[in-house]
Amino acid sequence: MKGSTMNVMTLVRPALDRAAMEAAIAAACNKIAPLWPLKHFVAVNPFLGFAGHSFADTCAIMRRVAHTEMLMPRDFYAQAVAAGVISDADLEAALAIDLGVPLPGVAGLKAALGQARRAKPAAVVATIAEVLDDLAKGDRLASRTAFMVDEISKWCAGYFDGGQASWKAPGRGGRPYAAWRADMRHDHNPEAMGITGFRAVIAGLPEDPVDAIIAVVSALGTPQHTIGDYLHRGLFDIGGWAAYARYLVWDNALYGRPDDTLVQLLAIRMAWGYALYRERDDAAFRQAWASAMADAAALPEGAGLAGDPDLAIDLVWQNAYEIAFQRKLLERLRGNSGKTTTPERPPVQAAFCIDVRSEVYRRALETAFPGTATVGFAGFFGYPIEYVPIGRETGGAQCPVLLTPAFTVCEAVADAGAEEEIEILGLRLLRRRAARAWKSFKLSAVSSFTFVETAGLLFAAKLASDTSGLTRPVGDPNTDGLDANVIGRTGPQLEARTVRGRATGFTAEQALAQAEAVLRAMSMTENFAPLAMLVGHGSTSANNPHASGLDCGACGGHTGEANARVAAGILNDPAVRIGLGNRGIFIPADTWFLGCLHDTTTDEIRIYDEAGIPAGLAPALRELKIRLASASAIARHERSALLGLKGAADIDARVIARSRDWSQVRPEWGLAGNAAFIAGPRHHTEGLDLGGRAFLHSYDWRADQGFGVLQLIMTAPMVVASWINLQYYGSTVNNKAFGSGNKVLHNVVGTLGVLEGNAGDLKTGLPWQSVHDGTRFIHEPLRLNVFIDAPEAAMNDIISRHASVRELVDNGWVHLFSLGGEHGIRRYAGGLQWVEA
Amino acid sequence: MTEPLLWLALAGPLALLTLGLVPSTTANAAPAMMARWSRLAAIAALAGAVCVAAAVALAGPLHTAPQPIGFGLWADRLTAVMFVLVAFIGTIVVSYSRNYMDGDANHGRFTKWLCFTLASVLILIVSGNMVQFALAWLATSIGLNRLLLFYRGRPAAILAARKKFIASRISDLCLLGAMWLFYQAFGGLDYGTIFAGAAALSGHAAPLGITLACFLIVVAALLKSAQFPLHGWLIEVMETPTPVSALLHAGIINAGGFLLLRFSDVLVLSAPALDTLALVGGFTALFGSMVMLTQSSIKVSLAWSTIAQMGFMMLQCGLGAWSAALLHIVAHSCYKAHAFLSSGSVVDIARASWSPSPGGAPHPARMGIALGVVLATALVASSLFGATLNQQPGVFALGSIMLFGLTHLIAQSIDERPNLFVIGRTLALAVVVAVTYFGLQWGAAALMAGTLPGNAALRGPLTLVIVIMVVGAFANVTLLQSSLGRAGGSARGRALYVHVSNGFYVNTIANRLVLRLWPARAPEAL
Repeated sequence: MKGSTMNVMTLVRPALDRAAMEAAIAAACNKIAPLWPLKHFVAVNPFLGFAGHSFADTCAIMRRVAHTEMLMPRDFYAQAVAAGVISDADLEAALAIDLGVPLPGVAGLKAALGQARRAKPAAVVATIAEVLDDLAKGDRLASRTAFMVDEISKWCAGYFDGGQASWKAPGRGGRPYAAWRADMRHDHNPEAMGITGFRAVIAGLPEDPVDAIIAVVSALGTPQHTIGDYLHRGLFDIGGWAAYARYLVWDNALYGRPDDTLVQLLAIRMAWGYALYRERDDAAFRQAWASAMADAAALPEGAGLAGDPDLAIDLVWQNAYEIAFQRKLLERLRGNSGKTTTPERPPVQAAFCIDVRSEVYRRALETAFPGTATVGFAGFFGYPIEYVPIGRETGGAQCPVLLTPAFTVCEAVADAGAEEEIEILGLRLLRRRAARAWKSFKLSAVSSFTFVETAGLLFAAKLASDTSGLTRPVGDPNTDGLDANVIGRTGPQLEARTVRGRATGFTAEQALAQAEAVLRAMSMTENFAPLAMLVGHGSTSANNPHASGLDCGACGGHTGEANARVAAGILNDPAVRIGLGNRGIFIPADTWFLGCLHDTTTDEIRIYDEAGIPAGLAPALRELKIRLASASAIARHERSALLGLKGAADIDARVIARSRDWSQVRPEWGLAGNAAFIAGPRHHTEGLDLGGRAFLHSYDWRADQGFGVLQLIMTAPMVVASWINLQYYGSTVNNKAFGSGNKVLHNVVGTLGVLEGNAGDLKTGLPWQSVHDGTRFIHEPLRLNVFIDAPEAAMNDIISRHASVRELVDNGWVHLFSLGGEHGIRRYAGGLQWVEA
Repeated sequence: MTEPLLWLALAGPLALLTLGLVPSTTANAAPAMMARWSRLAAIAALAGAVCVAAAVALAGPLHTAPQPIGFGLWADRLTAVMFVLVAFIGTIVVSYSRNYMDGDANHGRFTKWLCFTLASVLILIVSGNMVQFALAWLATSIGLNRLLLFYRGRPAAILAARKKFIASRISDLCLLGAMWLFYQAFGGLDYGTIFAGAAALSGHAAPLGITLACFLIVVAALLKSAQFPLHGWLIEVMETPTPVSALLHAGIINAGGFLLLRFSDVLVLSAPALDTLALVGGFTALFGSMVMLTQSSIKVSLAWSTIAQMGFMMLQCGLGAWSAALLHIVAHSCYKAHAFLSSGSVVDIARASWSPSPGGAPHPARMGIALGVVLATALVASSLFGATLNQQPGVFALGSIMLFGLTHLIAQSIDERPNLFVIGRTLALAVVVAVTYFGLQWGAAALMAGTLPGNAALRGPLTLVIVIMVVGAFANVTLLQSSLGRAGGSARGRALYVHVSNGFYVNTIANRLVLRLWPARAPEAL
């Protein structure tokens, strides 16, 4: 019998070097990409932790350490060949890329496609749960791995719960590892499942998480050089919660606060493995574990592709698939390069987010309103704000997640006197308190029975009205607790004020400095139209846990409404315009900026703050609205093909119905299909149907002295676009590992993430329904193709100075091209070299 | 004259059944057509149900000619209410599935089994003969099994389906045993014969066969409605698409309660069977709702809530509050169907659920104040509706539980910044809740007078003990919950949380037993 007295004996082994172990732990933790909570879900590159490795090496590491594929199954490429997508020339071009390993010829590659799915690489590092599962002869229902993951996940859900349970986990105040150990003193569940001595083993582990990891790793006899893999593998098993912990670490790091939550979680996972190790003492297990350790000891270090010839073949196919796409895109871009925009004053300028969904709308608007100059820019319009709703003390960070908010802006009600403001605020607070009391009545142990008997029947009417789309299952969180006559009047308060000790709004200097920076970054410094739209975007869907993921990523998973209105409001400020004039940007007196919101689900555009528009622009505004209505219809029509509405007579009505349908799992396609990022003047792409697959960033290098704007584009929007692109890539190639699985099984946990089904790990990434329509993938697994119209030397300079950019382009996470130079389009070949594309 | 017309009530269920018998491959080849037809069939079933309800309201109970063993229809007010309820929930769920399952490779097969299961429940409700009832009972369980295993490769789904399989087969055997005993006692299995036989026995000591049959019916119902200790499968069936959960928790799970209500005339003959029902139901209600408090995923939390609500309904039956139990079934079905179908909205709720600042700490005396207010309200409300607390133990127990709920509601609004507006609003709400509660109870009793047995007087000392235990336990839990927020720090509080959040390990032990006794290699993942 294994008791706590034995723990000490087993754990006394030659101690591993603590500093080296801390480094290994940090390295394993850094391999995990963060996961943002569903309240403000943003796209994350699931391979973020591997940026320092090449794409090919990462594929090899994932297969070796986690048995996880990062490329499509072979029949996908076989179908691409059969459909004529990949030509022999593409394949030969792919073969010309040096992968550092010997490769078969074209015939050999094609023959490989007919062969069975590639085998797992020989050498792997095993976990104890895995060895136990093997000993159980593949009976998956009795899987120790699954049980361990369920148990850790359940505990994490209680600890990190964002408001689901009304009886909260008592350990929430403490650090995770200590809280977990304290809970495990009482938890009989593992022993009920037959893991004998679990509580005693956990109680016998060191109190400090790093000490505990060291103790476990040395007790297991993991070979020194595979410790890093073992720790990484451990975190990968609970990858969802690890990703959420990584988010907490990330968020704290933005504000300079240290956070070891992920290390603590790793300690929990290691302790579990150790308890499983101690469960069995029989010869069969000891022999199996010894042989697993011997396999691990034989593991070649940093083998990469050399140890995995099958993977190399598939990589060539993936490269060929991407080359085929590039070939077609390059042809179209070359064919289009003659166009130039007319220099005369446009009737309307419209700046949209770089989001791929804007591409469709920009074309539609240019068709519906010829002469309109459209612009692409990150949808937060350069205003990193914290937007505080009425009644609340803090708000969401409406800026890309690489930044922290620099300004605090409060929501306020237009034209409300001080008295009305207090009344609205008071009413919202009281309603909130009443709602809390009612919720508690609904969900407490005893009153829930009374609730059902008094209020239950009302849900019959609610079922009928929600089904018919007349009501939303729950109210819109943004307008909850406000009266109907107030909802239309809310907006950002720009004046500098001190609210509860915090500086909010913008001082005159801040407003001016920010306005100038934004206009220059947008390359929008002359030839202003009478009406200049700044169009943020948001989505409309009902009953969709991932709804915020369809909102603006540049606004941190919020709609871009507040940012667009702030930017427009400041640019309309007469004092700011005088200041801008002094700095060389002359905005005509008859130019007015409009803060707008593009609903990407319904393709409606809403114009805000119309009351302030000068009377002289009224006819132009009327004209604009008519044109916008027809542009919206054109955009809806274009998108309807992918929504399965092709040929329907009432496309407009059906698209809008989708946005209200509580049973709709594909309200819109989001950023599915994204494949290119193009930074340059619009004339490169004007008139080209890019199918909603390109991020378009306006940029004129001739106006960019010192290439500050280029540096901004390459370090921020390009990086964010690649995050989005790789999120879609991961969710497409292996939805099980990098996506969130089947939406019809989603079970929201802790109000922060989803489980697939009853239990299991927290899921990251996108639902299967977001990339696949049931018959085919709507997203194509393509790494982002970045085209920038700028001198290659300037780009080289930025690449060499910024590790984050260099890792992306040199390690094959994006394909970079230069556009508009004297040699035409050229491809970045790595190592600051450019070659003919 | 009415008999042939009554058979028309089966048109909708039979249309659903026809869709349920379409081969899976055919169904998968035309998912859009299956979805369209299933919606029409469900609407037809709902229309038929409304017509039956209207006919019963106008002409009184209807039934087809009795056959001792065979098929028949029985339409009284209980049938009408349940028929409309399940057809309505079914229509909603079928409509919801059309877009929700779009694009799934097996969308057609899903619709097929959804229709099959819905048809089985509907046929069960309108049946007028225990043979038909038992066949429909079995068919429901088969259909549900196919829906639970819709994603065949999911190990957790297989485990849950096995547990459900075991519970269902025991429950089937109990039902068969009860049928055999009924046949022995009454000489026929059509409802008319059974109810007439039961009426003849009323007032006498029940023969052993009837007592035994009552126990078997009680056990069958407890198993069907996922009561302790075989509740585990219900919390693990989130391995299948959301609409199945909605149909299960709002339609199928009620079969146990419906069985009790249907044969309530017989069950009242056996006090021990009802006492057992009250004990198991009352325990499951508290057990389930305590565990619910600790769950951090929406669907699992809803499942525990269903276990608790079904337990409460069983308690109501056990205490002889039959019309209250029917009201509970109807209200719970509507609530739970909506809760499951809208479970994706919990993120929207969370986004709107901020704490008004400054966050008020609970007022130390709030439970006392709330209790005083509630007792005063109770006196007014109960005198309005003439509910006397000493003659009817069921009404007394259930009324007390309602008052504990109100106490909780009012206590929630009293924090350290007592605000007259909030307290006034909450009090007004409490009055509305109390009036609604008594009004609905009175309405349900009036509607079901003559169909279900009325509120019974005290059956004996054991029943009195049970009533006191139940009231005491619910009171204790109410008090306990108001102190849960603070108990966190102590080791005892912590241990209690861990035990409760694991459902006292009952389900893990059940899983292990099933794995031990029924080991098999799972099919490869799809």
